[in-house]
Amino acid sequence: MTGTWDGRRAVTVTGAGLAVTGLAAPADLLGPPPAGGGFDPATGLKGRDLRNLDRASRLGVRAAAPALADAGLLDEDGRYTGEATRTAVVVSSNLGTLDMACSFSDTIARDTVTGLSPLGLPQTSSNVVAGWVAIRHGLRGPNLTVCNGATGGLDALFWARNLIAADRASTVVVVGAEPSGEAVTALLGTPVTDAAAAVVLESAATAAARGARPRAGLAGYARAAGLPQAAGKVRGLLPAPSGCGLWLGGPGDAGVPAGTPRLDLQERLGPLSGALGVLQCAAALAHLDGSGAGPVLLTAGGAGHEAAAAVLLNRSNPGKDTP
Amino acid sequence: VTWDITGMGAIANIGGSPRAIFDALCTGEESVSPLRAFPADKYRGGYAYEIDDRARPGRDEPLRATRWLLDAIGQALAGAGLGEDLTDVPVLVGTTLREQRSAELWWREGTPLDPADLDFLPALRTRFGARDAWTFANACSASLYALAMGADMLELGMADTVVVAGSDSLTESAFGTLDRVQNDIPRALRPFDTSHKGMLMGEGAVAVVLSRGGETATGTPEARLRSVSANCDARHATAPDPEGITRAVHDAHRRAGVGAGDIDLVMCHGSGTPRNDETEAGVLADVFAGRATGPLMTAVKSMTGHTLGGSGLLSLVMAVLALREGAVPPVCGLTEPIPAAAGLRLVRGSAAAAPGLRLAQVNAFGLGGINAVAVVEAS
Repeated sequence: MTGTWDGRRAVTVTGAGLAVTGLAAPADLLGPPPAGGGFDPATGLKGRDLRNLDRASRLGVRAAAPALADAGLLDEDGRYTGEATRTAVVVSSNLGTLDMACSFSDTIARDTVTGLSPLGLPQTSSNVVAGWVAIRHGLRGPNLTVCNGATGGLDALFWARNLIAADRASTVVVVGAEPSGEAVTALLGTPVTDAAAAVVLESAATAAARGARPRAGLAGYARAAGLPQAAGKVRGLLPAPSGCGLWLGGPGDAGVPAGTPRLDLQERLGPLSGALGVLQCAAALAHLDGSGAGPVLLTAGGAGHEAAAAVLLNRSNPGKDTP
Repeated sequence: VTWDITGMGAIANIGGSPRAIFDALCTGEESVSPLRAFPADKYRGGYAYEIDDRARPGRDEPLRATRWLLDAIGQALAGAGLGEDLTDVPVLVGTTLREQRSAELWWREGTPLDPADLDFLPALRTRFGARDAWTFANACSASLYALAMGADMLELGMADTVVVAGSDSLTESAFGTLDRVQNDIPRALRPFDTSHKGMLMGEGAVAVVLSRGGETATGTPEARLRSVSANCDARHATAPDPEGITRAVHDAHRRAGVGAGDIDLVMCHGSGTPRNDETEAGVLADVFAGRATGPLMTAVKSMTGHTLGGSGLLSLVMAVLALREGAVPPVCGLTEPIPAAAGLRLVRGSAAAAPGLRLAQVNAFGLGGINAVAVVEAS
């Protein structure tokens, strides 16, 4: 499976935001942690506006707002200024509802169902984050939740792009959110960081019409059994054989030229599961915003997983026209 | 543009194939049963529409949703005359709860759980060699959302054939929370009836093979997919919104190039909660208000229970059989419609003979205010 983002259906990235313990902004993914200490879940996940929301939804909401602001899509009162019915939400999360399911089961065993809170109903469904992000900003287009293992974040970028290409939406907020929790730690066998990222994808035409700066172009997505195959397929979309300015991914061999700078976000932050691909996209945007060389290769999955996926981002120009 | 539905599969409490489920629906016989999955003394209500397939009665087991999913996809592939190799065929699965029941059993009872098994990818790869597979957790509109995404892949030229499916099994956390929040405890799921007290969960899986029509099609398809709309109310986390649902219905009609006057049959979401039934009935009454005689309507959840993520596609598969057979199953237990549904032609008592039906509309609405509506046409 290879999807190409050609000229006619070009998709650009116009904003990014984070809610990751210890980090303040997407650029912090590329360098040392911020001096000010960055996001602290103990304070950052509190607030009247987050009352009754589960932890994954709080993270998702805290990442989505700065991404929309970064894209210039919120007015000074925080209201969404884009076209609501043409704006979709795509969320990737694998573990977001795990602790809820486990703790609710504990409660039922201990106290019967009368011990449960009726306010817990939304979070029994794995799409809870996407629902809250849509409600928060009034986003009435398609609302999709991808639970697809290690590749889920990159898969979410692919489905967001398809929503635009199929003309179901012109703007998509893509969120990856994975909370920490007792059951998550037990299942993965290692402590997990609270991590969420959001990026705003727009059709190039929509972005241009409102005068938004196209900061990165999505050039393609590929899915394959292994990492080198997936990475090779998206790199094959480049107009001419060339290296990548940055590879966000690994460990493992993706077949990229030796010497390509590589950044493995999970090496630094721990397991990111379904949030990984969206964090990678936010990091790539920060890289291209700075003086970083393009294109940027994002990879997830591979050895030890069901499949591998890869996404390629260009500085701003879309990929070549491919049938 | 239309897409061919070339194969169908399903499993639910009342049957192990689309045909068996359809025949059972047409009998209109009560199918709810006492809760088997969990200890009934922990719950206020004690009824569900379970698939009774556990190896040891009273002892739940992991990966049942996965097992049914593979079964339904196998049926659909056989029906389409395709082999079981899906190496190059995209597979899109819609679900509400994924394998969270397996996670609960892991947490409570220590049964093994591989994190990758939370979605269905490992099982799909093992059985069918599927690599291009995606699990969409889109609540109770999930399988119609997956159908929309699959149709888009065909439209965008990314594939000639896709497999779209849905599956869910009861989880303690969802069944329990639903039991906790409903004021009255339903003894059965009674869509649009004044006796409706709420939703009861069912279990099952469903699958279709969707193919580009035209020269590549072999034989006559089961039916043709005309459109699927997908949107979000963005208003309330649990309550349906008539504005969002109306928009989804009109968008489905627009995409299909049909008007409200062209629809012959509506498969209602019909979840049996007073809130859903009143909202959905009100929207349908408005949408079809201009017609002297409205379309026939039914609601399969009255016999399958709410099969969650797969329920929309299960309604669609039942619509295909209704179009083909010229018969519409009744809404089981509907004797006195709620006032909002009084003007709707909901089939009651026994199956309605209805030859010549051509177009069916299929509704699916989910938590988070996500709506999907499909239009399917007889082949």
